[in-house]
Amino acid sequence: MPHTLEKQRHIIDFTLASLLRRKGKNGALFTVYTLIVFILASVMFFTYALKEEAALVLKGAPEIVVQRTLQGRYAPIPEEYAAKIKGIRGVMAVRSRVWGYYYDPVFMANYTIMAPESFSLGPGCIALGSGISRMRRAYEGDTISFTGADGKSRNFTISKILPQESQLLSADLILMAESEYREFSGLPPGLASDLTLKVRNPKELSTIAEKVVRLLPDSRPIIRNEILRTYDALFSWRGGLLIIIMSAAVLAFVIFAWDKASGLSAEEKKEIGILKAVGWETSDILFMKFWEGMTVSLTSFLAGTILAYLHIFFTAASLFAPVLKGWSVLYPEFRLTPFINPGQIATLFFLTVVPYTVTTIIPSWRAATIDPDSVLRS
Amino acid sequence: MTARYSTWFCLTTGAMLLMALLLVIHAGVRTTADRLILRETTDLVRSLELTDLCLFTEASYTRHLSLADLRTPFQEYPLSLEHFPSGSLAAPPPYLTESHAPHP
Amino acid sequence: MIKVTHINKVYNAGRPNEFTAVRDVSLTVNLGEVTVLKGPSGSGKTTLLGILGCMVRPSSGRILLSDREITSLPERFLTQIRRETFGFIFQQFNLIKGLTALENVMAPAYPTGEKYAPLRARALESLALFNMGHKAAARVEWLSGGEAQRVAIARSLINNPAIIIADEPTAHLDTKLSHEFMAIVRQLKEKGKTILIASHDPIVYDSELMTSRIELRDGSVITPGSPA
Ligand SMILES: Nc1ncnc2c1ncn2[C@@H]1O[C@H](COP(=O)(O)OP(=O)(O)OP(=O)(O)O)[C@@H](O)[C@H]1O
Ligand SMILES: [Mg+2]
Repeated sequence: MPHTLEKQRHIIDFTLASLLRRKGKNGALFTVYTLIVFILASVMFFTYALKEEAALVLKGAPEIVVQRTLQGRYAPIPEEYAAKIKGIRGVMAVRSRVWGYYYDPVFMANYTIMAPESFSLGPGCIALGSGISRMRRAYEGDTISFTGADGKSRNFTISKILPQESQLLSADLILMAESEYREFSGLPPGLASDLTLKVRNPKELSTIAEKVVRLLPDSRPIIRNEILRTYDALFSWRGGLLIIIMSAAVLAFVIFAWDKASGLSAEEKKEIGILKAVGWETSDILFMKFWEGMTVSLTSFLAGTILAYLHIFFTAASLFAPVLKGWSVLYPEFRLTPFINPGQIATLFFLTVVPYTVTTIIPSWRAATIDPDSVLRS
Repeated sequence: MTARYSTWFCLTTGAMLLMALLLVIHAGVRTTADRLILRETTDLVRSLELTDLCLFTEASYTRHLSLADLRTPFQEYPLSLEHFPSGSLAAPPPYLTESHAPHP
Repeated sequence: MIKVTHINKVYNAGRPNEFTAVRDVSLTVNLGEVTVLKGPSGSGKTTLLGILGCMVRPSSGRILLSDREITSLPERFLTQIRRETFGFIFQQFNLIKGLTALENVMAPAYPTGEKYAPLRARALESLALFNMGHKAAARVEWLSGGEAQRVAIARSLINNPAIIIADEPTAHLDTKLSHEFMAIVRQLKEKGKTILIASHDPIVYDSELMTSRIELRDGSVITPGSPA
């Protein structure tokens, strides 16, 4: 056993000495490879952690949201709908939500203004999401002004900043008392933005949703499961940007594989001949090629994965930020909880290390079985 | 005597595996530690009846992905990134980015 | 002892460019002997050395190595025999470019799984024996012809083979270096190695070290080998 081990170490020595002969080429190969793994692993870590976090916190989302559609688009819902829905069996409570958007022309940013059910701050007081606070440099105790639906500017006192930790959900929120918001936004009494339902038996959600539509044909219920599914599918591999990243990576791999599979150079063939002539067996040659693929791909895989982890969870996905921000001015900082999925890492391993190593070995298979007598003449 | 290449390889791989192990431990510790924060966030979601992540604030249908109505192309934010391929090729017309609102 | 009987080697058999490089050769090489193969270019010296060294399979005929029939052994066993029994010094030296002299010398021993430290010590010793100790860390492509040859000789000895095969060892050497090579051959002969050399260089062919001389022409032996 130590005998076999020493032999493999010898073969690794030889392989690395051979690889180091072409430092530039193999260095570039290692760098590109690491970069590909880094990008793929970063995408993987990021989307998985985000999805996990979304799935966890959105468990608190309303069981059913009922919207009203008018002329094919979403419109305020009359509050008497609430009473009608309450009549459906299995519905425990119906509440009307009052909320909307606000476009800040100075910062060219969109905010979400909500009037929560239990709003305890005093008149003229608001709570501000940490994203808005950061962007506008507005802090607790400051006064901030927004322009209402009537074109008049109104002053509000910031009496609370929503916790930094929840910014993934609340970065752009403004919380306001309902009466003030109605006055500010021009939403007439008797109308709400949408309705949220509490249901006695979670198994009945879809039955109740069906009943709501039957009762009120212009309504559109959205079940919590659909919300969760939205976020689960958000960064699926088919998603626009991801498919571009993936196909770039796959393309790079094809180029690698092509380069490898297009065969060995005359010099490589000659070296294999020499090794066979001096007593290397076919299996030794194949081991050499195995290590040639393994040393490059394993170190690249490890380096790429480690760097990706540091990138996503230590630098808050700093390289992805410009892409994710898109055109938005306001965005959360992605301080994600490092949920990792061992299965995904294993998949990445099998999609990178294994094919590379195999494409390194396969072309040498034939060469390893050639007669060593070719080295007798040149 | 300089070290063998295989020694370097084993050391490098070993160091990276150790690093990976440390990161796995880091992930475990952070996940446990963050559980409380996540629970608080869930409570916030419940009390405010939130439905969506604040990922993209460009437009209502990206801000509230799960509530987006069925046909909402170009909407609130004049520079909003289109969901349609053409939207990412053509810049929005300049008059849209001009603000007519009075500056406070 | 290597004994070959009625050996033929036909290249490209059955095709228009069919060529018989070795024709009905029978000869015996005894242990401890220094045998030289002589003949004009293309007479089949290299081919015959390859057959004797288990590197080329003959088209017909039998090879006995220490009374063991090895003609039809599978490649794996031939490789092992090559590694353990023969040391090759090729016509073109065939060192692996880009690696150091030391790495080249050690390479044939890698499949044996010998411990690194003793192997390295032996390789350095072997290089030192041919005054190449100071070039151990040099890349082989920077070596002069004589130096490269001495690295090749050191490499052929690393597995302590009983038989050493050298193909045109003095072809790339000047007279002085050729005499130095013969001194090395003497050294090896004194150690009891069996040596097979292909050469048409008189310095080699007429040396008093040779215990038997075989002349080839068009693939056939024209003077009998050892008196036997
Ligand atoms: N693989 C091959 N295919 C076809 N012909 C070959 C092959 N190898 C050798 N020959 C031919 O066999 C003949 C003998 O070749 P060999 O190399 O044994 O000669 P040699 O005596 O060593 O010559 P030199 O002194 O020039 O080295 C040559 O005519 C050569 O062309
Ligand atoms: Mg020859």
